[in-house]
Amino acid sequence: MGVTMISQMLGHMNFGRTIAALWLPHGDSTFSPGVQFLWDFWYWISVFFTVLIVGLVVSFSIRYRHTKDRTIAENSPSHNNSLEITWTIIPFIIVMVIFALGFKDYMNMDSPPANSYNIHVIAQKWSWTFVYENGAISNTLYLPVNKPVRLNMTSKDVLHGFWIPDLSIQRDVVPGRVMTTWVEATHPGKYILQCAEYCGDGHSEMRANVVAEAYPKFQHQIVAAANIFEENGKPLPLATVGKKLYVTLGCLGCHSVDGSKGTGPSWKNLAGSKEVLTNGHSVSVDYAFLKTMITHPGRVLIKGFPAGVMPSYGSRFTGKNVKNLYAVVWYINSLSKYSNKASQPPVPNESGGAEPATSSKAAAAPATVAPAAAVKAASPVAKVPSGPKPIPLHVLGAKLYKSLGCIGCHTVNGQPGVGPTWKNLAGYPQKLTTGKTVIADYKFLRTMILDPGTMDVVGVPAGVMPNMYKYQLSGKKHPHETKLNALIWYINTLSNRSSKATQPPVPDVPAVK
Amino acid sequence: MTTLTGNNFGDTPVVPAKPDNYLTHGKTIGSWLLTLDHKRIGIMYLVVGLLAFFIGGMLAEVIRTQLLVPQGLIFHGTGSVASSYAAYRYYNQVFTLHGIIMVFLVLIPIIPGALGNFALPLLLGAKDVAFPKLNLISFYLYVVGALLAILSTVLGAVDTGWTFYTPFSIQTESYVVVMVLGIFLVGFSSIFTGINFMVTIHKLRPPGMTWFRMPLFLWAIYSTSLIQVAATPVVGITFVLLMMERVMGIGIFNPALGGNPVLFQEFFWFYSHPAVYIMILPAMGIVSEIIPVFSRKHIFGYEFIALSSLAIALIGFLVWGHHIFVNGQSAELDAVFSFLTFVVAVPSAIKVWNWLATMYKGAIVLKTPMLYALSFIVLFTIGGLTGVVLGALSEDVVLHDTYFVVGHFHYVMMGGTLIGFIAGLHYWWPKMFGRMYNERIAQWTCVVLFIGINLTFFPQLMVGADGMPRRYASYLPMYQPYMIVSTVGAYIQLVAFLSMAGYLLHSLFRGKKAPVNPWGGGSLEWETSSPPPHDNFETTPSVGDPYDYTDMVFDPVTNGYVRTEPQQVPVAAPQAH
Repeated sequence: MGVTMISQMLGHMNFGRTIAALWLPHGDSTFSPGVQFLWDFWYWISVFFTVLIVGLVVSFSIRYRHTKDRTIAENSPSHNNSLEITWTIIPFIIVMVIFALGFKDYMNMDSPPANSYNIHVIAQKWSWTFVYENGAISNTLYLPVNKPVRLNMTSKDVLHGFWIPDLSIQRDVVPGRVMTTWVEATHPGKYILQCAEYCGDGHSEMRANVVAEAYPKFQHQIVAAANIFEENGKPLPLATVGKKLYVTLGCLGCHSVDGSKGTGPSWKNLAGSKEVLTNGHSVSVDYAFLKTMITHPGRVLIKGFPAGVMPSYGSRFTGKNVKNLYAVVWYINSLSKYSNKASQPPVPNESGGAEPATSSKAAAAPATVAPAAAVKAASPVAKVPSGPKPIPLHVLGAKLYKSLGCIGCHTVNGQPGVGPTWKNLAGYPQKLTTGKTVIADYKFLRTMILDPGTMDVVGVPAGVMPNMYKYQLSGKKHPHETKLNALIWYINTLSNRSSKATQPPVPDVPAVK
Repeated sequence: MTTLTGNNFGDTPVVPAKPDNYLTHGKTIGSWLLTLDHKRIGIMYLVVGLLAFFIGGMLAEVIRTQLLVPQGLIFHGTGSVASSYAAYRYYNQVFTLHGIIMVFLVLIPIIPGALGNFALPLLLGAKDVAFPKLNLISFYLYVVGALLAILSTVLGAVDTGWTFYTPFSIQTESYVVVMVLGIFLVGFSSIFTGINFMVTIHKLRPPGMTWFRMPLFLWAIYSTSLIQVAATPVVGITFVLLMMERVMGIGIFNPALGGNPVLFQEFFWFYSHPAVYIMILPAMGIVSEIIPVFSRKHIFGYEFIALSSLAIALIGFLVWGHHIFVNGQSAELDAVFSFLTFVVAVPSAIKVWNWLATMYKGAIVLKTPMLYALSFIVLFTIGGLTGVVLGALSEDVVLHDTYFVVGHFHYVMMGGTLIGFIAGLHYWWPKMFGRMYNERIAQWTCVVLFIGINLTFFPQLMVGADGMPRRYASYLPMYQPYMIVSTVGAYIQLVAFLSMAGYLLHSLFRGKKAPVNPWGGGSLEWETSSPPPHDNFETTPSVGDPYDYTDMVFDPVTNGYVRTEPQQVPVAAPQAH
């Protein structure tokens, strides 16, 4: 054991790196030169003062040492105001210079340029997920080189810390709000993102790879990342896709696949087995049970496992993403000797399964488009996931209500939530925190969805509504605002005061150009 | 006033130790547990505090041992990721408990509680603190709080980190409420001690001891008390809110209920940053006492040192936001906090220059307390300078929550507060127990500890700048060299502390009898016998300049210093200096 440990240690030792690391890692973002300069400035000032102080302590201790001949101190003054003022002023000036330099760079770090590319960062125990403007999802952060990237970050559970030391950026990800930061990589490279804010059991393993690439290559990467159901153009069996999702969605943090104990039940021999719930009932783990456990983890609890730990994956497994659910449940089935018809998803595992096939075709579509167009893939024409048949806007709105996550805060049945219920919202008066009362018309609804910070409705917490929807629903990439209109149409169908003023300027008919 | 400063026996000269002293005054266990004697309460604080330090220290050794290998040497999985995470939870509990014990049960209470209680009335020439019963209550609140902390650990431990950040601390299954209740009680202990010391310094100063003739340790304790009284209630309320959030779901910190998790951080640091000064100011006070005594020279710049303590205490209230630069508070607010952080750095620098100027042209005796005081200067300098770069906004973005921060605050807390405490313990040890320790072994122990601390924490500064985040149960293999050196340093520290425990215990039973004034100190505690009698002083000590050593000579017979012409200052006529 001793020998292996020592040889293991020597294997990792890299003395050149150890000595060089007295300085910061060589940064590769536009922030790095400023950070590096101030670090060096501080570093040499610190070396100077440390050497000075240690030198004085040592030399005084030797030179003025108590000896037989030197039992009392020499006569010297016990105060000197001009000396005191000098050594107050000099440190003050030095720290003010450091303050000013740090402040200047920080203000730059705080203001993302208007032409930034947007990436949505989702942090959860204990994985990172990145969503790109074309809808691609990946667990590796792909960054374009020489293009500012605005990172809109949300957490599903607790605080996390988004930190890439080599790119000189860090920001906490606070649940309940959208945190933003930005970065511009200056040349291609591979880096590591580590979680810096303590978040529980898997904190130290909550990493992601970061790849900065020049533009065409960056686009290929995110297009490839958009499609997990295929490899080299060939569809994969669902269980294989499920295995990927097991890693990328972070399931592996709590669920083992070899029967060993974790925070959640092991997936080994889970499907088809019998489990006892906290309410004493015994159930057989079939497809319906697994589906509930994944999409609504709070509803039922298996005995012996803590409540409230499993994050709600919600829209990642429902609606147009239901194929993810099939994939994961197929993977769970592939790990179990008790797997049976009842525990398996309603579609076959093979890539030929009817429903996954259409879905995978839809997901594969961007791969066939030229890369330049792929970035703009999210076109104004509503892509309806369930098939080619066009549907009215308000039906699309009802789907978006779930897939965009509105469902998390807004109810449609009049029940109170974090945000106002959509039942009887359109056309009704709304009291603002400014004291004014306005009617919830089309303009009001549009502003509240796109720029939630501009008005606050009384009784609704400020700053909770994400402000990223303006990038997903409006702006240059979405000139027709089809999805936005779909949502507002949906809100109108829920109200008995819907009128011309509250409805979008386009009719509620299937979205066409 | 004379009744407060001891029995007045008229012309009786200062007498050597009489058979009865505070240690032998009452021999039953009850006479200790229910004592109102500030010295005995101080000793009880010392015993409990050192016990807590032992537990916290052993947890630190567990942490360092775990980090010898990247995947974790003690807590690691059996192959699957899920099993690793389950194992890492134990590591998280260990570092949480280490932090809580060291901060709330050692660093904050130990200097005021142990050394402050013992020395403060003696330095004032007083019989006791102003409110002896409150003092005892404060000790027991500390003990009950510590027991609750242990109870929560026995029940199932806490894995939140000592900062209890929400919403993790709301969601975790661990015993947060019990632990937080314990800290809440320790907080009240701290408030009571602060009130007691402030009143004592205001009301029980002997005639002739004006504010600017107090020993500097009293200025430091006074400034500390100010923070304890004003800041601790805030963390108390915060912890009550946290308990209510967990038990009742009031929705103040929990984002799922519309609460704001960042609000908790603001509340927490509103106390916990000033708390850093609760820890460091008394240590600076001790160093300000030791340096002049062992340089045989008057302290340089008395007023600047005294007022810098007060300045640190006051400005220290306005810098809490520098802990949360990257949590999304507005950039303009960050700028204000950064600016004030740099302002508060200056008074600390002033103290260092004044200590050095005190040594200049002195006659420096490198006995153990002085060696620790000099270690303090060096370690605190490194701790302070690394704090400067963390205060710079753009640098904090790349260093926040890394091992650089861990290294920085251990240099300040261990190299500063703890070394200051150890310096004070060695300085007042002869007075406390009437026994000397083995000087040679103590000196070597100090050297070994100094090396151990630097070996432990300097690599942490380097690995943090290189990119390793804190609170990691496992890490990337490229960080391993630093981690190994750091762990070796921690083992060296353990050797030093075991040696210290050995020679101090030996001194208790076998040590040479201590003289009245072994180091030649000029403040009042050196005028009474070692150990002092129950009532502190046989005669009313006369107040002079506490840093005047010109009329002292070493007496080889008693192995201590005596005044050639005892200060006979009329109580009403302050002596000019």
